[in-house]
Amino acid sequence: MRGPNAIDFWRGFALITIFVNHIPGNIFERWTFSQYGISDAAELFVFLAGWSIGLATRGRDGVPEPALTAILRLLSRTIEVYRAQVVIMALALAMIAGTALLLDNPLILEWHNAGGFFADPIQTMVGIVLMTHQLGFFNILPLYVVLLAVAPIYILMARVNQTGTLILSFSLYAASLVYEWNLPSWPGEGDWFFNPFCWQLLLVLGFTMQDWNRTQPRFRAWCRRLMPLGVVIVIVGIVLSVFELRPDPLTVPEPRLIFTFDKTYLSPARLIHFCGVLLAFQTVYGLVAHRIGPITRYLAGLGRNSLAVFSMGSLLGLAAQFVRFRFGGGMIVDVSVVGCGLFALGFTAWFVEWRSRKPKKVVGTPAAP
Amino acid sequence: MFLTLSPAMALAEGAATVVSPPHPPSAAPGAAPIEGLDLSLSPECRVPGSKLYTLAKLMAVKRALKEKRPVRVLSVGSSSSGLGASTSYPVRLENALERSLPNVDVQIDSRGLSGEVASGAGERLRTMVAEIEPDLVVWQVGTNDALARVDTDAFGDALRDTVEWIKSHDIDVVLIDPLFTQSIADDESYNGLVRKVQDIAAEQRVPLVRRYEAMRFLSASGDKENETHMLGRHFRLNDLGLRCMAEHVTRAITLSLLQPDLGAAPGAEPPANKPEPAKPAGP
Repeated sequence: MRGPNAIDFWRGFALITIFVNHIPGNIFERWTFSQYGISDAAELFVFLAGWSIGLATRGRDGVPEPALTAILRLLSRTIEVYRAQVVIMALALAMIAGTALLLDNPLILEWHNAGGFFADPIQTMVGIVLMTHQLGFFNILPLYVVLLAVAPIYILMARVNQTGTLILSFSLYAASLVYEWNLPSWPGEGDWFFNPFCWQLLLVLGFTMQDWNRTQPRFRAWCRRLMPLGVVIVIVGIVLSVFELRPDPLTVPEPRLIFTFDKTYLSPARLIHFCGVLLAFQTVYGLVAHRIGPITRYLAGLGRNSLAVFSMGSLLGLAAQFVRFRFGGGMIVDVSVVGCGLFALGFTAWFVEWRSRKPKKVVGTPAAP
Repeated sequence: MFLTLSPAMALAEGAATVVSPPHPPSAAPGAAPIEGLDLSLSPECRVPGSKLYTLAKLMAVKRALKEKRPVRVLSVGSSSSGLGASTSYPVRLENALERSLPNVDVQIDSRGLSGEVASGAGERLRTMVAEIEPDLVVWQVGTNDALARVDTDAFGDALRDTVEWIKSHDIDVVLIDPLFTQSIADDESYNGLVRKVQDIAAEQRVPLVRRYEAMRFLSASGDKENETHMLGRHFRLNDLGLRCMAEHVTRAITLSLLQPDLGAAPGAEPPANKPEPAKPAGP
């Protein structure tokens, strides 16, 4: 188990934010940073995923691991995330059906796009396995599966030509914005909530910047120098969201997605805002980590076990919504629901690590790993 | 057969009415306490006009009809509009509209819209509207917000913003209020949200399909023998609700199109419920 670090810390932070934002209407929602900017925790989560891929596919000395090992590592991770997605979808549908039975209320079956499954299980079951049928709030992992599946291509290309890879990734992003390319939903009409053609850019930026950050002092120097710019961008983002100022998607010029604040297509405004957030907060971890020791350890623990924590968070968020539906919102319910959720997420992280540690103790090998 | 059924159903309706809508049509019914069922609907979907809709003008659709071009409709739903077996709803809506408006080509795009209007779904709807650029948006609104116990006023503000925005671009809106089921009949906050949808529709002068009232009417008048499965009757109603919704929406749209075109004096005439226009429309 690695000690706390900035990546795990911020990933834990993103996970908490996503959890709170996935209980719509709760009183803590307005205290998350998503309410005060154009981009939100999803960008942070995907960017850090890219950064971690950069870390994982190189040894400690920075030497890239053999190509085949990297491919197999990412393939194994893809399968792991896909499995998590299928499992939490099954559990979520069962939770929805169970709650509908328990409360004798068929409206609950309509929640978050689940209605399609119960109305038409034959097509929708196929859609679930293909990830083209996504429940509301359960759409980040499908994106992540696709990104991990194509990551080996990017990683191996970047080893040959980093700039070329970035240009390619950016071109795909730009073309998707202009021509509105996206993966389709099925059996329902429409498209994926997180468009992989656009969001791949953030993953590529993540692992490219991880490399630059390690090898290029000039990159780090420029990041420091541009910090005030980041602060300005963050302030502009706060003003725009607080006053709900945003472009009108019907009055902006074509191609529209370049000018709107669209989440599905990771519109440029969101990307720029996110880069501003990165610049503005790049040193924050170093400044606060030791002062808020327990919180740092808690968040880093969540970040280290992000897949398990994210999966549990999705299900707990759904459960929290049912509790709010049954007992109504309000201070007491929201504090208990979010409080229990945060505890359960911490326990999940601890439990995953305990489980992976345990066999060694049973065998009784005294030697340090 | 219909004639014999009608009075009984109308009586059942009278007994079931608890929530009185705050706007003119039913608030001042005086004239017709026992109202005939709308016979243009198929038998299992028949509901009195005042339970079914409030009307308003549909200028953009009218313009499309005048220009003799296809009418583009965006059907947006909590979830039911875009999915699986429920694709039958958009298809049915398209067919029903084309039957009611002979020689008009109606093109329907349907999209599921999960999530709450008060937390972002309103924003996503704008993106969809910009992508499709329809003449008319038929929006099933409110069920998700009601289930998530979103604050009614926050919901109302977000809904008003979005409806105003759609109208500001000369696109028509028809709202469909949340679903009804027996277990939420006495749920204060749920009913409050349904009333909020009615308020906003009246305030913004957009047609409203009162699905909640229609489903309540149908569930009160429906047969009781199918309660073998725990949720059986409700499921049937739910399915029926989808099927009837297409007819109800079509009815509200065609009648709204018949609203007199008196330019800018909308406050003068109430959004009337015409019991039965002379037009031989509908199935």
